Amino acid sequence: MISFTLNGKTVQTDDSPDTPLLWVVRDTFGLKGSKFGCGAALCGACTMHIDGSAMRTCVMPVSAVAGKAITTIEGLGTPEKLHKLQAVWAEQGVPQCGYCQSGQIMSAAALLGNNPSPTEADVDQAMAGNICRCGCYPRIKKAILTVAAESSAPSAPEELAANSTAKIGEVVL
Amino acid sequence: MSISRRTFLKTAGIAGGGLIIGVVLTRGDGPALPIKKINGALQANAFIQVTPDNVVRFYLPRDEMGQGAIMGLATLVAEELDVHPAQLDIEFAGVHPDYNNPDFGVQGTGGSTSIKAHYRPLREAAATVREVLLSAAAQDLGVARTDLSIADGHVVHSRESYPYGQFTATAATLELPETVALKPKAEFKYIGADIARVDALAKSTGTAVYGIDVDLPGMHYAVVQRCPVAGGTVKRVATQAALAMPGVTDVLQIENGVAVVAERYWQAHSAAKKLEVEWLLPELLSGVDTKTVEADYQQALISSKADESKAEGDLDAGFAAAVKTVQSEFWTPYLAHAPLEPMNAVVSIEDDHAEVWSGTQGPQITQGLVARYAGVPKENVRVHGVYLGGGFGRRGYVNYVAEATQVARAANKPIKLIWSREDDMRHGVYRPASLMQIKAGVSEDGKISAWHATRVGANLIGGTMNMALPGILPTAVPKGVTNFAASTVDSIMDGWAIDHVSVEGLEGDYDFDNMRVDHITKDHGVPTTYWRSVGHSFTAFAKETMIDELAQQAGVNEVEFRINNTQRSPRIQNVIRRAGAALAALGEVEGRSVGFAAHGSFNSYVAQAAEVSVSNGQIKVHRVVCVVDCGQVINPDIVKGQMEGAIMFGLTAALHGNVDIEKGAIKQSNFHDYPILRMDEAPVVDVIIIDSDEDPTGVGEPGLPPIAPAVANAVYKATGQRLRSLPLKLA
Repeated sequence: MISFTLNGKTVQTDDSPDTPLLWVVRDTFGLKGSKFGCGAALCGACTMHIDGSAMRTCVMPVSAVAGKAITTIEGLGTPEKLHKLQAVWAEQGVPQCGYCQSGQIMSAAALLGNNPSPTEADVDQAMAGNICRCGCYPRIKKAILTVAAESSAPSAPEELAANSTAKIGEVVL
Repeated sequence: MSISRRTFLKTAGIAGGGLIIGVVLTRGDGPALPIKKINGALQANAFIQVTPDNVVRFYLPRDEMGQGAIMGLATLVAEELDVHPAQLDIEFAGVHPDYNNPDFGVQGTGGSTSIKAHYRPLREAAATVREVLLSAAAQDLGVARTDLSIADGHVVHSRESYPYGQFTATAATLELPETVALKPKAEFKYIGADIARVDALAKSTGTAVYGIDVDLPGMHYAVVQRCPVAGGTVKRVATQAALAMPGVTDVLQIENGVAVVAERYWQAHSAAKKLEVEWLLPELLSGVDTKTVEADYQQALISSKADESKAEGDLDAGFAAAVKTVQSEFWTPYLAHAPLEPMNAVVSIEDDHAEVWSGTQGPQITQGLVARYAGVPKENVRVHGVYLGGGFGRRGYVNYVAEATQVARAANKPIKLIWSREDDMRHGVYRPASLMQIKAGVSEDGKISAWHATRVGANLIGGTMNMALPGILPTAVPKGVTNFAASTVDSIMDGWAIDHVSVEGLEGDYDFDNMRVDHITKDHGVPTTYWRSVGHSFTAFAKETMIDELAQQAGVNEVEFRINNTQRSPRIQNVIRRAGAALAALGEVEGRSVGFAAHGSFNSYVAQAAEVSVSNGQIKVHRVVCVVDCGQVINPDIVKGQMEGAIMFGLTAALHGNVDIEKGAIKQSNFHDYPILRMDEAPVVDVIIIDSDEDPTGVGEPGLPPIAPAVANAVYKATGQRLRSLPLKLA
């Protein structure tokens, strides 16, 4: 049994210790927001926070996170209670196919956690590990800089979520 | 002779009845619609359902792969019904003839057709619902129809407003109007407005569901080992080591490889590595290297007879009138689509019924393939819509669905098949490599007096039909026969007909008075299919680099030269003019050069100026100005996003994209050797959209073709090196 914290809750798994964390989170614990893209830490679609740092979980054996705190996109915010990055992402129409966006947002959140006022070059550097095949880079960058600017401004960012007109287009299975 | 994909689909009689439809009003006749049955609901057609509790449900007939069809098409419905797009309850449509793409006659998404093909039919469908609701309201309220109007999902009479749901029961009993009036542009409320994408929130919170996210009770995971060379089959396989691995339940042989089935994905993945497979290699392809292909194409230019695709005027006279003549050759490589969601499919078979969840640009083909491999009737196969984690043409070729169904049938379990990135890179279907030669002349007055373009390479239809025909033809037609039919398509292309997409874009845009476009078909057996912007993805590079060379030879500014040679094509001329003005406004930046290109594709027109610097042999694109004329715009922000995205996709091809063949196998395997443009390489993009009253045209693809030649032309200005091969590499 390997035990760790997943979005604030302690969980245990008997998955084989070499199983990458990504598959444990997706299939054992059913959180599908983190995506499989390359299996080689090259695209960033699987990015989660491990003890606060953005990590590629498609190559991270679950044995390596025993006792650690994992945060996924689902732990960052929900459609009902959005993280400010998610609100701006939706408001500015960042996603196209959307498959990479959980990873993009997790990398962005880690960046802003370390550096609340990044320069464009800081954003380029921090986000260079996340591929967006649809090429949403200009919007991703703008959204991050928007959140950074609003966080440093005195007004409350929660308004963004309240004003978002976007609706969940998810499929009912 | 040249035939289009659409003409081909129609004439080949695979158009599922062959009828190109406008509004379809199915009310109980024909096959049952795959929709929710709600008592008292109004279902005037396949697309729109209005329920007594005021849900306006839109069955989205096209696939959403990032291009924004979900938003664009919802906006059309929203406009005629006066319901905000975000208030619509949107469901992905299942398979039914009413959901066929009016441009294709089959249910498919591609060719930048979604908005163009549905612009009127979907509005008519929504307007029909509006009209019958108004008639029902007049009857129920006992007032004159002319005293009623609609606003925000309500019927309005005097100062009272009534939700649509109040009238659905009556409306369902009324005859539908035969003709309906569409809202005039002056009254548009949602069309043309920047409204946030309806799928943006789900895609920003990890709650949007893709095929890879679907789980079923009792589901097992499958990983397939395939022959490194496409078309190879299993000669013998040692399965004991794989079977002994934890969690493994089955090891099965399927048509093109060996599948390992396990309780968990990682178990299947790990066990598949233990398989020892000996392959029967396909004879032709296993002897092919990229160098062989290049050499064969070069030789073909010299010694093979070309098929004429298009000819006008007198080419000899055109060259005789030229004061400058230029001849150049251009090479563009094989490319993989590499959508970020690897191929996957979930298939469940129970008795004579089957269900499938998989990101596909061809749900009808998907249904047919599941029926064929599951051995159940087509009408018993339910295709569930999911979001596509990128498509770009790749997901029109659903070999992953064929594999998953074979495994589900043989293992007798619900199966989720997942391809690895390496599988995706090495066992896909590719943008074909091309060698293009253009010889052209410019006369004294700066006009292009002669234009002779030849493309050498493989076609797309044959490879694509290989997967499509077994899916579309009745399941009673055996697979061998469908394969034979597909090979017939291929051989037709090598003789009397040219697959138009192989040469599209070489003949267009400019006033070519004396011109000829030829094709030489050379097929080495590498599986090929449509790749974002299809033929234009390579022809525009050759054409627009050549135009730059001609302008330079004529001693004329490249924008002026293009304007002078597009007198007969006002829409392309207009985007060239506008982009030229934007370019002039940019001003000169020290150490940077600006290249220009323009190209019409998918009935839209795009001109781009790329600001580029070169240092230490590295090409850096700093800024791109993009002017697009795509007719009436439905959602400007999505048009802008598609231009941005197509430019990034095109830059990946311009700067990095290359798939190599070694002994018939694909050499590249993942993003380290098939790099995708990253944020630190992404330019700033300024998009200018032409205001137009013309009907809408393509948006997903037309932004791609001009970017590679715009960058190449900038590199020439910066370095004096004329780069005629992709990806661009400085000497």
